[in-house]
Amino acid sequence: MSILAYNGGAMVAMKGENCVSIAADRRFGIQAQTVATNFEKIFEMGPHLYVGLPGLATDTQTVMEKLRFRKNFAMLSHMLYEKRFGPFFVEPVVAGLEPKTYEPFICNMDLIGCINQPKDFVVGGTASAQLYGMCEALWEPNLGPDDLFETTSQALINAFDRDAISGWGATIYIIEKDKVTIKNLKTRMD
Amino acid sequence: MFSSPPFWSNGPSPGNFYNFPNLHPQVQPQDFRQHSQSPVTTSTSLVGIAYDKGVIVAGDLLASYGSLARYTNCPRIVKINNNIILGASGDYADFQYVKDFVEQKVISEECLDDGLSLQPKSLYCWLTRILYNRRSKMNPLWNNFIVAGVENGEPFLGTVDKQGTAYTDRVICTGYGAHIATPLLRDALEKNPQLNLAEAKALIEKCLEVLYYRDARSYPKYQLGIIDAELGVSIEGPLEVPQNWNVAYSIKGY
Amino acid sequence: MSLAVKPHYPDYSNAPIQRSFNPYADNGGSVVAIAGDDFVIIGADTRLSAGFSIYTREQNKLFQLSPTTVLGCSGCWCDTLTLTRILNSRMQMYQQEHNKIMSTEACAQMLSTMLYYKRFFPYYISNVLVGLDNNGKGCVYSYDPIGHCEKATYRAGGSAGALLQPLLDNQIGQKNMLNVKQESVSQEKALSIIKDVFISAAERDIYTGDSIQIKIITKEGIKEEKFELRKD
Repeated sequence: MSILAYNGGAMVAMKGENCVSIAADRRFGIQAQTVATNFEKIFEMGPHLYVGLPGLATDTQTVMEKLRFRKNFAMLSHMLYEKRFGPFFVEPVVAGLEPKTYEPFICNMDLIGCINQPKDFVVGGTASAQLYGMCEALWEPNLGPDDLFETTSQALINAFDRDAISGWGATIYIIEKDKVTIKNLKTRMD
Repeated sequence: MFSSPPFWSNGPSPGNFYNFPNLHPQVQPQDFRQHSQSPVTTSTSLVGIAYDKGVIVAGDLLASYGSLARYTNCPRIVKINNNIILGASGDYADFQYVKDFVEQKVISEECLDDGLSLQPKSLYCWLTRILYNRRSKMNPLWNNFIVAGVENGEPFLGTVDKQGTAYTDRVICTGYGAHIATPLLRDALEKNPQLNLAEAKALIEKCLEVLYYRDARSYPKYQLGIIDAELGVSIEGPLEVPQNWNVAYSIKGY
Repeated sequence: MSLAVKPHYPDYSNAPIQRSFNPYADNGGSVVAIAGDDFVIIGADTRLSAGFSIYTREQNKLFQLSPTTVLGCSGCWCDTLTLTRILNSRMQMYQQEHNKIMSTEACAQMLSTMLYYKRFFPYYISNVLVGLDNNGKGCVYSYDPIGHCEKATYRAGGSAGALLQPLLDNQIGQKNMLNVKQESVSQEKALSIIKDVFISAAERDIYTGDSIQIKIITKEGIKEEKFELRKD
């Protein structure tokens, strides 16, 4: 078993029309044992900017603290690569709107900081295979905020329902120019 | 029982068998099947393509001993009967063993004198079972076979590997050829689905040339096995790969 | 004797050189099946591969066992060849012994038994068996490599199984949907979902692609279709 799968977790970010979404499950577990169902993996890093850190929970929090301290997202990739030969076990997902243009922006990285910046969606965590299948079928271009919420949540929930170590509730952030909507969803708890 | 002390610590002692250091009885071979788990004298790629009225299979004549080009006249494309050609890559000894009992089978069938002969699909299916049974005993025949033939006027081209994985296709290459020759042949076939004998032959010769340049275990002497619905079986060769190393000086940097 | 690490003299060792032979190969492939009230559809991609090599782009992985039963296999191809050959002969033996064709349920049980028979040297295959039951209703049975069997109405198996199963949960099982009536899926919808999910799988799974072979089983017989996928 990979250390990345020690705590479990699922995460997805999607682009829409002038908006982006980022969503994650709420489980915190130690291997198969669920410890808490209110664990946050997505953090606000600035106006219109969120970062999700699925992976080893202790590193999720360490990286989040270090980021808060540095407060410079562009450095995240460098920060991860600094530890190339002893990495933090997180695979960050970043979602936000560009500071001036409010262009939707999403990207994810591997645990040593290799950036992937596609036009549609990014996924992370132990349910990533399931998320790829869901997103590849459900995502379409130019989704409005409401449709984006529906697509993101359906993709996430159905994906983590097929992963034993993700789930137990979901949090979804819809980031628009003038507001950020945060919704906690109830899901099946098994 | 008397036993004399060793000459030096852990060393030999007079009147006793000496075991060299690091030889524990438990690591000595208990299972002699382990010995056949790796190939010894090996041959490299085979390339095969089905054209409109038949099949061509080609392979070089080299049998290597590791990186040593050991035996340079080892034919590995053989005529089985008037409908079948068998080609092999991998361990040469295993190929000779298989060739022997396939030939014996053909003789036995001929003795029946019922006018029926072994068909390519039958041999392909039978070889699959032989190789699968050997892999299930963890004692594989370390080969990749290509069965080429004509059955009911239709070209047949199939392959079996050491695990018993078997499939048929219009293009089949083994070893290094799977990576280098397959794309060339598939591309040619896509552009011209109805190849004739001359075109197919030219294509195979081109593939062997490319393979000779890039496969370090290849050899310029080769054989061509052709089975044609009208012309029957012919094994041509030894033939020579046309070589041109004029551009070699400019290839550097990787 | 000293406790120091013993020196290693490979030239004086007659221990066998260990080069492992792996009797299994992962030849990829995906199978998806959906059952309805009076039909069942099964689809499998036609790519046979190993690692980064595509062996062939046109390998059928659906095996018709009887006029109402079809098996879809993916995983180790040499095991698939062997298993399906034994299955076919068992079907024939049953037919000749009992003078009737084996039912889908009996077939499903037989497959489970045959897989478990090789519990300690398993057939490395992900099997999905579909057919019509004695009442003409579509049914899907899925297996693990050592014979665990589960009956379902839809199933995705093989290399893209993890990508596709949640999609089927959502689109056919109507999981996580509010205010929807549970109704059985129509033949047209099932067929279009199978095509859609394979298109998605071919985007993200390198072991799935080239084309899909689809078999539609109804009481009128079995209809076959082919559908092209991306070939890279």
